Amino acid sequence: MAWTTFQRRCFVALLLALTCHGIMAADVTVMVTDAGGKPVTDAVVAFYDSKTPAVNANAAGKIIQKNKMFNPKVTVVQTGTSINFPNEDTVRHHVYSFSPAKKFELKLYSGVPTNPVPFDQAGVVTLGCNIHDSMVGYIYVVDTPFFAKTDDKGKAILKLNDGQYTYQAWLPGQNKPAAEQKTTIEGVTEVKIPIP
Amino acid sequence: MIKFKHIRSRIAFTFLTVVVAIQLAGLIPLKYALVKHANTLAEDQIDVGQRVFVSLLQHNTQSLKQATQVLAADFAFREAVATNDAETIESALESYQGRIRAQIAFYISNDENLVVGTSDAKAILKSLDARQAIIQSNAGKLQFDIVDDKPYQLITVPVKAPETIGWIVMGFAVDSQLTSQIKQLTHLDVTFVQKTNAKDWQLVSSTADKTLSNLLLKTVADLYRQRLTLHSVDLNDQTYHLKIRALHETPDEALLVVLQGSVAPFTQDLNMLFKVMLVLTLIGVVIFAVLIWYVSRKTTEPIAELVKDADKIAMGDYETEIQVSSTDEVGYLAKAMNSMREAVLQRSLRIQRLAFNDELTGLSNRLAFNQGVHQAISTHADSQQKLSVIVINIHRFKPINQTLGRDFGDDLLRHVGQVLKQYVLSEQDMVARLDADEFAVLLQHTDQAKATRYADKIQQVFEQPVSVQGQAIDVRTGIGIALYPDHGVDEEALLNHAETALQESRAKKSPWIVYNTALEIDQSETLTLISDLKQAIQHDQLLLYIQPKIDITTRRAVGGEALIRWVHPEKGMIFPDQFIPFAEQTGVISDITNWMLLRACQVLADFQKQGLRLSLAVNLSTRDLNNMQLPAQIAHLLSSHGLEAKALKLEITEGSLMQDPERAELVVKKLAAMGLHLAIDDFGTGYSSLAYLRQLPVQELKIDRSFVMFMDKNSGDASIVKSTIDLAHNLGLMVVAEGIENEYVLNQLARLGCNEGQGYFIGKPMPEKDFSIWLQRWEGQNEIEIDIGDDLSFAINPLEDNQQPSDPFKLDNI
Repeated sequence: MAWTTFQRRCFVALLLALTCHGIMAADVTVMVTDAGGKPVTDAVVAFYDSKTPAVNANAAGKIIQKNKMFNPKVTVVQTGTSINFPNEDTVRHHVYSFSPAKKFELKLYSGVPTNPVPFDQAGVVTLGCNIHDSMVGYIYVVDTPFFAKTDDKGKAILKLNDGQYTYQAWLPGQNKPAAEQKTTIEGVTEVKIPIP
Repeated sequence: MIKFKHIRSRIAFTFLTVVVAIQLAGLIPLKYALVKHANTLAEDQIDVGQRVFVSLLQHNTQSLKQATQVLAADFAFREAVATNDAETIESALESYQGRIRAQIAFYISNDENLVVGTSDAKAILKSLDARQAIIQSNAGKLQFDIVDDKPYQLITVPVKAPETIGWIVMGFAVDSQLTSQIKQLTHLDVTFVQKTNAKDWQLVSSTADKTLSNLLLKTVADLYRQRLTLHSVDLNDQTYHLKIRALHETPDEALLVVLQGSVAPFTQDLNMLFKVMLVLTLIGVVIFAVLIWYVSRKTTEPIAELVKDADKIAMGDYETEIQVSSTDEVGYLAKAMNSMREAVLQRSLRIQRLAFNDELTGLSNRLAFNQGVHQAISTHADSQQKLSVIVINIHRFKPINQTLGRDFGDDLLRHVGQVLKQYVLSEQDMVARLDADEFAVLLQHTDQAKATRYADKIQQVFEQPVSVQGQAIDVRTGIGIALYPDHGVDEEALLNHAETALQESRAKKSPWIVYNTALEIDQSETLTLISDLKQAIQHDQLLLYIQPKIDITTRRAVGGEALIRWVHPEKGMIFPDQFIPFAEQTGVISDITNWMLLRACQVLADFQKQGLRLSLAVNLSTRDLNNMQLPAQIAHLLSSHGLEAKALKLEITEGSLMQDPERAELVVKKLAAMGLHLAIDDFGTGYSSLAYLRQLPVQELKIDRSFVMFMDKNSGDASIVKSTIDLAHNLGLMVVAEGIENEYVLNQLARLGCNEGQGYFIGKPMPEKDFSIWLQRWEGQNEIEIDIGDDLSFAINPLEDNQQPSDPFKLDNI
């Protein structure tokens, strides 16, 4: 029997209705564990579908320098997001990145820089301070609005519509995704991502 | 144990041994400690050196690392690295390499995709083992490696943006600059040796000289193989301590650093110290040896001196006094030896005095006299001169001593000695007391005439009574003279011969006799006779002779005197004066007396049988008078022969009474109590006190024949006889005259009232068997008046030698 697209859709919807009581956009809990099965904190997950636009030029964010640390240390943003780097320390900082995804330099400053830095290319940006070698921060720039960072229990919650996705997961500080997988979200509330 | 000739050596040896032992006991551990200390110092130096070396390397590393970190932290360099700007990176490394004087500099990215080096970095990296390991495990740490067969110290520093994105590696060659820097700080020789794939152990750099470092190379290779890190080794006659540290090790490669410290500098000082100690010890030993030698010499020298002195004393030198120079023990010893020497001297002088002097008279004794004569002979031997030895004897000294006391006798002897000394002819002459009453005089350079003149003088002196202790006493002397060389050529012969002559003088009652050989024969004969005498009694060689005795008034025979004769089987007839004196001396006289008494009793018994009332007189000797058994024996004899006591008469001399007067008196009194008739024989020759005689129960006096024989010619004798007879009669004693040789004398005696008589005129001593013949003839003659001439011839004839031993049984007991 050859199913038409519609038929197929109707079937899916029926299935969803039967199983998920027909909820279209739902919270999905992502659980990242390492090779030993332990939850990973500050792991970054990003779910990609083909429909949703990759870039959001209006998005904005900020990473505060406080106590000679980047806060948060790991930040995930959609491509096109502009991030400001307010300095809440009394000392000045010289924030820089030599990462190919975004090279920039905020030469010695204090307070809130005038212009936020736009991150318009997906990739991992490693942040440093030329003054304080110990300061390290990471910005994961992803081409999707569906992203999250795991809490100290290795959990992250995303609002995902049912559909087909490809997800990527980075361990904190790593340039390359530790896991990349296609998955289908339909009435599913939890995705387990074991890092090998 | 070693034997030493001297105490000195023993002391020195003992103490030196102790000193040397003590010094050795100190020096040997000292030497050991010094060597140990030197080694410890050397080890310490190595230890310190190693620590210094390590900290030097750490410091170097640190400064190099810091220098390298400057580059790694440079923002522009980091930017160049982050943007993979290889050209910029290379130029930056180049300029930096020059700045910090590194031989190698390169950058290697984290993912090893980018390698930029100042030299052929890729080639270098190829030769580096496990570069990743280097980077990961030794970031910023001390790291040595061998690159292109050359050793380097590598400094690796991360480049952070802000995470580590790559590494800068700086290489510094291990060369003489490093070794000399280390040596400067550690004062140790430093050697780097390496082994590579291609080459065996080889020297990289060393501060030690070539020879030594080459020697070291082999040793180190060995030690490394044995995995020893600390070692002491002898190289070039020196001890070195080695500390080996591996700076880089792979199975094929090795880079070692050897810190090498010589013990020599430490031992040098310590050896010097030891040598000084040794020299001080030797000096100490020498000083000690000298001291010991000196002290022991000081100690033993006086002992050696004392030994010499003792030797002197042993040799007989008692005169030299021992010098006492010290107050210590040796001094005491010397003092003790001195007093010993003194005592020995005194004793020897005393012994000498005793040996050569007569204590009593102060004259020389026999020994000294013998020596004197000997000496005189040896001096006279050359001079052809004569000398004379005169022996003088005091008659009847013993009774004098006994009756008048020993003190008196001693004084008398002293007096006689004085007299003899007074009349010697020269100072060299010698007077000695030989025996109790015997003196000897040595007259030098004297012939017979001089000697006899001296004898005469002595004789004359003693004709006068001698006054001793206020008492006058008559001293009679016998003198014998012997002349050198006529009568003997040695002292013994001279003295013997003089004594022989003296005996002759006594026997013959001559004032003196000069020795002649005729005397000698007599003398020697008596000696053999003595031994035969005992046998004579047993073998009946003795004969009883009887000399008749008459009543002078009636001229009738009254009996006789029993006399003894010895018919020797070889020598024929022997007269009693030849053996009685010796029989007296040897005690045989008692047997003879017993024999005489027995025989006399037999004869008397015979007379009794014949109806003859005759008596026999038997002479008693001194010994007999001391024999308390004698009265009992006689009583037994008389009774066994059935005789009356008065038949047996006993004659005793004054001298025999004097020997032991109390005992003799006791015996005599017993005999008298038995009723025996006792007569004093030889009256007038002795010195009996009449008072004493009066006490004795004596009935008869026999006047000695020396007074009677010549009384017809000598009126002096006649008056002595007369007064003796008167005296005896006054005392109530009978008088018997001996030695009547002619009728004139017989008639004289008859006129003087003498009771009985005997003599050649009446009858010579005759064998008993002849007595009856004589008796018959005498009795008949007296009745018919036989002519006297016949009688005379009978009387004069009897003895061949015409001598007159008419009264031979004389017991002159002195």
